[in-house]
Amino acid sequence: MEKIIIKSFLINTLLVTMGTAEVPNMLQKNCLACHSQQKIPSELIYRRYLLKYSTHNNIKKRLIEYLKNPKKERSIMPKQFFLKFPQKRALDLNNTTLNSSVDAYLDYFDIKKKLILP
Amino acid sequence: MLRSEKRSLFRFLSIYLSSTFLLFLLATFIFYNYQKHQIIDLQNTELSIEAERITQKLRQLNQTFSKKLTYPYKKPFESAIYNLEHLYIFGSFQPKNILWSQEYYQQANRLFHIHPLFPYYLGASHIIITKEIKQKPIEHLLKMSILFLFIAGIFFTLLGLFLGKLFIAPMKESIEKMNKFIEDTTHEFNTPISTILTNIELIDTMYDCEGKEELKRIEIASKTLSRLYEDLTYLKLNHNYHREIESINISELLIDRIEYFHTLIESKKLKVIQEIENNIIFDIDKNDAIRLIDNILSNAIKYNKKEGELYITLNRKNLIVKNAGLGIKKEDINLIQNRFKRANSSEGGFGIGLDIISQVVERYDFKFTIDSTYNKNTEVNIQWKK
Repeated sequence: MEKIIIKSFLINTLLVTMGTAEVPNMLQKNCLACHSQQKIPSELIYRRYLLKYSTHNNIKKRLIEYLKNPKKERSIMPKQFFLKFPQKRALDLNNTTLNSSVDAYLDYFDIKKKLILP
Repeated sequence: MLRSEKRSLFRFLSIYLSSTFLLFLLATFIFYNYQKHQIIDLQNTELSIEAERITQKLRQLNQTFSKKLTYPYKKPFESAIYNLEHLYIFGSFQPKNILWSQEYYQQANRLFHIHPLFPYYLGASHIIITKEIKQKPIEHLLKMSILFLFIAGIFFTLLGLFLGKLFIAPMKESIEKMNKFIEDTTHEFNTPISTILTNIELIDTMYDCEGKEELKRIEIASKTLSRLYEDLTYLKLNHNYHREIESINISELLIDRIEYFHTLIESKKLKVIQEIENNIIFDIDKNDAIRLIDNILSNAIKYNKKEGELYITLNRKNLIVKNAGLGIKKEDINLIQNRFKRANSSEGGFGIGLDIISQVVERYDFKFTIDSTYNKNTEVNIQWKK
């Protein structure tokens, strides 16, 4: 019985490790740290951007514009979203870091990595 | 059926059938293409419905945040999603050379459908969906089109034959009447001509009378009538005349026929220059050979000038008869073979001589050429079949 429990635990751990890609440091530090703390759904935001702008190039352009000058009216999220979550402040990052962080964000949540054939 | 009847019927049928066939071919082609388009359209609708199903699934996937998202793949359809920049996102296949400007298109044996999306679920702006084209309905359509053409072809051929026979019936009746008339007339000619010729020979051998010259003229006139009778009978019978092909010594026959014309030659005081090679033999119906030689010689004598020269050459390659006579105008040479065409109206004759020559030449695949200098000479050349 113990053996079975240990085996299933090991298998579960292995599956979880395989299924979760490692979060890049930069992304973790510049984005997800706050998002996780405030429980802001980063992937939902990514999907909303995807729904509206389709390509990573378009999303990156819009996202950087927003991050430099965040306003509720310019946000991809609906107004009701800000009833629950606070309006973020402008990021104090240089262009290079901002670019790299956005790239890491888009790469981390990239839809291509999630899709599989049945 | 007479030659002219056959020719008229053939001409009518070829014009009628070719125009009808072309019209039907065009109509069938348009119908086939239209129907094929309908079949493809129907298959495209299937693709469109499947694309709509995939769209709904993508909408659901866009709201799903699990670690793996299962792409809505369903056989026999193959599909792929592309973003706004026409870059491949994901799919069960990765097509090449996509024609983005088309709603649907064919490549090899597959039908491709491009389905636009908005909003862009999972970033997809287009779904490319494809399926192998069902060839059976198209093949069936092709078979039916060919069958239709075939049946229409048979129907219109039969109709054409019926119409053609109706069309040539009056002509056939006229020709038959004319032939009957010629047959009756020539038949009536035969007995008196034979009687005259026999009696001339009898007078010539039995009596030494003074009117020899007059007797010769009567003989020439009678022989001319006799040949005319033979020619008319030949033309009348030509369409159903049973030929007996045998080895004929043309050299001997030619000498014999020149002898037959000696009275006419003498009366015109022609100088005959002969170059006849011995034993030229080939397979031909004797009557055809006689009609051919007689008509060439007759015309050469008839259209020669008095005291003129007549060159007769026979060898293994050809028969050449050349006279120093009236000659033929250039524009008349092409027309000369037509029946009842006379190169010169100053002499008698029905112009059927050259027609008989061309018929014999055509039947035995000989080659016939006329070369003439107006007011100088005419050369008729029969080139034997090689």
